[in-house]
Amino acid sequence: MSLAIKGRQVAERKLAIYLLALPIAFLLSVTVYPLLHTISLSVHDFRTGAFVGTQNFLRAFNDPALVASVRVTVIYVCVAVLSEAVLGLLAAVVINRSVSSPLLRGLIYSVMIVPMVTPSVAAGVIARLIYIPGYGILNYVLRAAGIISRDVLWLSTPSSAMFCVLSVDIWQWTPFVFLVLFAGLTAVPRDIVEAALVDGASGVELFRYVELPFLKNLLLMVVMFRFADTFRVFDHVMALTGGGPGSATEFLSVYLYRIAFKFWNLNYAAAIAIFVVIVASILMYFLGKVLTSEVA
Amino acid sequence: MRRGFRIIVFAMVTLVLIFSVWVNAASPPKPKELSIAAVSGVEVRGLKAIAPIWEKETGIKLKIIEYPYASLYEKIVTAFQANVSTFDLIMLDDPWMPKFCSSGWLVPLDKEFGYTKDPDIFQVVYDLGSWPPPRGPVPPGEKGKPRHLYGITLVGNVEIFMYRKDLVPEPKTWAEVLANGKKIHNASKPLYGFVIRGAKGNPVISEFTPILMAFGGRIFDDNWKVVLNSPESIAALKFFAEDLKAISQPGCDAYDAGERAQEVAAGRGAQAEVWPAEVTDIVENPEVSKVVGKMAYTVVPAGPTGVRAPLMGNWLLAIPKASANKHWAYEFITWATSARIQKIYAENGGIPFRRSILMDPELNKKYPLFQAMARSLEAPAQWRPRTQDWFAAEAILGTYVNGTLAGQYKPEEAIAKAAAEIQKYMEEAGYYK
Repeated sequence: MSLAIKGRQVAERKLAIYLLALPIAFLLSVTVYPLLHTISLSVHDFRTGAFVGTQNFLRAFNDPALVASVRVTVIYVCVAVLSEAVLGLLAAVVINRSVSSPLLRGLIYSVMIVPMVTPSVAAGVIARLIYIPGYGILNYVLRAAGIISRDVLWLSTPSSAMFCVLSVDIWQWTPFVFLVLFAGLTAVPRDIVEAALVDGASGVELFRYVELPFLKNLLLMVVMFRFADTFRVFDHVMALTGGGPGSATEFLSVYLYRIAFKFWNLNYAAAIAIFVVIVASILMYFLGKVLTSEVA
Repeated sequence: MRRGFRIIVFAMVTLVLIFSVWVNAASPPKPKELSIAAVSGVEVRGLKAIAPIWEKETGIKLKIIEYPYASLYEKIVTAFQANVSTFDLIMLDDPWMPKFCSSGWLVPLDKEFGYTKDPDIFQVVYDLGSWPPPRGPVPPGEKGKPRHLYGITLVGNVEIFMYRKDLVPEPKTWAEVLANGKKIHNASKPLYGFVIRGAKGNPVISEFTPILMAFGGRIFDDNWKVVLNSPESIAALKFFAEDLKAISQPGCDAYDAGERAQEVAAGRGAQAEVWPAEVTDIVENPEVSKVVGKMAYTVVPAGPTGVRAPLMGNWLLAIPKASANKHWAYEFITWATSARIQKIYAENGGIPFRRSILMDPELNKKYPLFQAMARSLEAPAQWRPRTQDWFAAEAILGTYVNGTLAGQYKPEEAIAKAAAEIQKYMEEAGYYK
């Protein structure tokens, strides 16, 4: 290799380093710095700024309100992710088998995108107009149909309020699961499906032995996405219930908001945030392991 | 004689000219514009109406920078902490005063500009704009500091009471509210005796505080000791979450202000507490209301103690220490809060605060709530406890009062738990050292 070529390679490598330096510095400033700052906040006192070590973390373990918010968050995440995965999968399989017209399929795609592009706050406000007693649409429809004789207080009991916030999430994000799985189903080779049908496979068998193996990777991905997303649910809950009644829908993010922006205890909020990141990471790890072994 | 007279006239004219030149030299030059951070929504409507008049009269453009409530606080605090002159003026919610004043972020209007009190402005308005507060508990570290005036009200928000004058007589006490409500309450019609704003947090606390105080309950004593857990507070919560709830709309624990006003405007509610903007925008708005002309307005009723405790929610004008145009910002404050401009402000949908404007017979024909606002400010109206930690106390109590309305807690349990949590919070915040 001539010296000239070597020199050019060194220069190119240097240029590459220079070009990468700015984006890396930017990425570090928006990821690593906030993380370090959060860790620093979590080990200091919120009034005096004095170093308090693990005090904020120990407080988190003895905080009954935090425990209650973890409990409702776990319920929310499990029900939302499971419902969205099952409904999305069901819709994808049914529509894939029963709708063959490209025009109709395009139309379904377009309709399914609407909930996903609706801002969460707007979805919460719409849901409030549906569930609010007095002039909520749902009670009006149920009364008109003769199903109820007096208003159901959807937002006034812990279980019904939980149902209301869950319904918004399921309405908004089942289409995401559907769209991803529907795209996956269209990639299943037609000849394999036809061979299975010729061999006399039933609908369930076709799904179990042909379609599902093709969808497993995608299913794993959407479940991971939805898990991460539902864990930080906030916007539509604030618009719909504000965390009430009492603390019935005060999920972790809502509780964090209260600690950070009502109590202005950013240090304790930072400790809770780190605790949440650790718990979520552990759960994601195990979830990933379970689902990966299923795929394998 | 004539010569002497000429000399005197000449001397006086000379003096006037010298004085006017000196005054002009003393006034800072006019800026091209004044920037004001304001909250978006109905509170800024009056300000927008008077801005063109200010521009015409002074040649200084008023740049109104609007933010939603939560963002406004964040933007102002960020600007203050950075000590940058982002805003020449700010519009601030009165519960923010403790934080802003104890941090030394605002210019004292009396000390810096020699502001003198105007008898047409209610004393409670001056008290609200002063720091440290002239009555009630003072936060640790603020005691003994010289008191100054830091803000003047622009939006005279105060909670009043409304009732259907075609259905019930004016209630002077909460017992009369209940009696009125029981007579006409008919859930199947539906016509509710009272409409509760019971949503979690600030909404339910704004609703409950006038009742709590009217029954003799308090959250803090004058040394910040939590005295909430008292027979008076429990009686107030029982009255609110049991007696009043029994004559209220179903699911009241989910209702916020707009929804409460809608119930009344739809002819389904006979009595309610209300904020001025709900009246002007919904209840007395012929486009959305069925009860225009049927409502009357008064001071919130008294409790067993005989005390009427309307709650204030004023928006004040203040000048940041980092403002680059303090002189003209002050000129704007005195101009905007003058009787002449407040009348124009009120005629254009602003919520005024001056006695003469609120009692103006002509304005009262159009805005029948004004005289009730004047009487409420005179009562005097009550402010939220003057501490930057009020929002935490409100969030705690607001969760338990909402939970009691929803049937999750008994009143005794809710008051005891809320008091214990607030006490713990205040301890951690260093109030009892």
